[in-house]
Amino acid sequence: MFEARLLNGSLWKKIIESIKDVVEDANWECSGSGISLQGMDSSHVALVSLHLKSDAFDPYRCDRNISLGLSSTNLSKILKCSSNDDSVIIRTSEASDNVSFIFESSNSEKVSQFDLKLMNIDSEHLGIPDMEYDSIVKMPSNEFQRICRDLSLLGESVQIACTKDGVQFTSSGSIGSGKISLRPNITAENLDDTVNIELNEAVLLTFALRYLNFFTKATSLAPRVILSFKTEHPLVVEYQIQDIGYLKFYLAPKIEDDDTKQTTTPD
Amino acid sequence: MGIHKLMTLIADYAPSAIKENEIKNYFGRKIAIDASMSIYQFIIAIRTDGDVLMNEHGEVTSHLQGLLYRTARMLENGLKPLYVFDGKPPLMKSGELAKRKERRQKAEAELTEASEVGDKELAERMAKRTVKVTSQHSDECKRLLTLMGVPHIVAPCEAEAQCAELAKSGKVFAVASEDMDSLTFGSSILLRNMMMSEAKKMPIREIHLNTVLETLNLSHNEFVDLCILMGCDYTDTIKGIGYKKALNYIQEHKKIEDIVRSLDPKKYTPPEDWSYPEARELFLSPEVTPGIDVDFKWGDADEEGMVSFLVGEKSFNEDRVRNVYKRIEKSKGQGSQARMDSFFKTIATPESSKRKVDPSGVMGSSKKSKIASASGRGRGKKR
Repeated sequence: MFEARLLNGSLWKKIIESIKDVVEDANWECSGSGISLQGMDSSHVALVSLHLKSDAFDPYRCDRNISLGLSSTNLSKILKCSSNDDSVIIRTSEASDNVSFIFESSNSEKVSQFDLKLMNIDSEHLGIPDMEYDSIVKMPSNEFQRICRDLSLLGESVQIACTKDGVQFTSSGSIGSGKISLRPNITAENLDDTVNIELNEAVLLTFALRYLNFFTKATSLAPRVILSFKTEHPLVVEYQIQDIGYLKFYLAPKIEDDDTKQTTTPD
Repeated sequence: MGIHKLMTLIADYAPSAIKENEIKNYFGRKIAIDASMSIYQFIIAIRTDGDVLMNEHGEVTSHLQGLLYRTARMLENGLKPLYVFDGKPPLMKSGELAKRKERRQKAEAELTEASEVGDKELAERMAKRTVKVTSQHSDECKRLLTLMGVPHIVAPCEAEAQCAELAKSGKVFAVASEDMDSLTFGSSILLRNMMMSEAKKMPIREIHLNTVLETLNLSHNEFVDLCILMGCDYTDTIKGIGYKKALNYIQEHKKIEDIVRSLDPKKYTPPEDWSYPEARELFLSPEVTPGIDVDFKWGDADEEGMVSFLVGEKSFNEDRVRNVYKRIEKSKGQGSQARMDSFFKTIATPESSKRKVDPSGVMGSSKKSKIASASGRGRGKKR
């Protein structure tokens, strides 16, 4: 038996909308500690890692570890049938090949139940080691969304440079180029508006904007985004969902081909 | 050609070894391709009204047409193709080659006859059977590849074996071929449908040798024996043993010697002077250049060179050739996108490893059914 009730059901909607462009089908692993998911896009460039703590649910009951294979598109369709102030119950049992989604309106007058068929998904699970990042940027999540959206008007990829002076996003394409610089700002009135840079070493990395624009669909989940950079390593874009858990996106960098190696350094 | 019914066997008994993928997901991957095989397929497949494409001097151009567009498609999608040409044929193949020659001669005779009586359909069919790849075809293809900036090498012997060696030694990611031999030669990953025409919209099928071996519970040596039993290019088979029986026998007895000993002589007779040990030797240690000694690089395409060769000598349409050049060039210089798997390693999911309790061996030991059967849940297959 597995059952998890989330009072703020609209969170589910937001979570699925943020990951569905990256992960088509994924196994939702349910255990005593909560619900987690790891999945990659079909070309294995981006990875999603999600964890929702069992405490976030009331009640939460998981008798045995269970993995629910679901298509993100179908999940999104079903969740769209819920109203924003509905609570959402997810329920299944070991013997079942369905999972039920039960939406209860806040005044308990309306209850809807949708059953989704489970799928067998052959997924690869990647081990992500803990590592020291060269620089970590914490900034308002909507600011980051804006930057990615604006720069994708100009080019396919963005070059991100972190130095002690700040962080710089550059993109260029056939119509021209764009450059957006952020200076660390810790004196903003609202703590959520600060830009905070922890720098161990300067980095310069290039990423495909297409994926970053997928990731920033999670903006509504958290006011802040944490970007962790390490030279020649994937970028981590992390959203802390308050009191619930986290949603992390990993994106493999673009690497110059050996024979066309450029010798640019961060300025 | 290849191994008789090997694809059927894998699809039936080790379906988890087959994955489907779009060509664009192979960006940045180095892929070895058996050139001679591809040329042959182009000449057969690329025709108008049953005739091969020719320029005004009556020279065949189907192979160049095919090579140009298929290679451009791979480059556009960011793939790095490497073509491998056949060297000398192995002695063992002489039987098979003689058979092919005989078939070709027979087809030629029938072709003349058919065209005399005006049976167009038969003539067309026979014309395809008379196809032979000449060294002129190969040389023209090598010239075109050089102009396109795509590397090619000549194998000491069979191209298929050389491709497999490159995959085994990690020089390339996979071998693209329609010939299932590649797996027998030990290619870790085989890609099929890579050379299909774009219009057919066929997904690439990716076959993983290791998964095949694990699922069938075979060592590579046993797999080679299985392929020989099923029917390969180098030697005969035992009459009456198809792929299902062959698999059962191999799983039970491990090698051909022991199978032969256990067979009921009244029912099955192995061929006389059966040369399976030689065929086995050929698959296990073919004549190849070791992967570390092979060097290749992708360069720039030469627009004027392509035009003067294809338009000047082979009467291609100039606009089209220039267009292909533009497509190739556009795909370059974007920097290559790295993949997650080059940073993080795959680990077995605790979930599925816990559920690995299915004792039924071959029949249902694909990863998917393991999960389903062990958890006692009859989930519907993904639709």
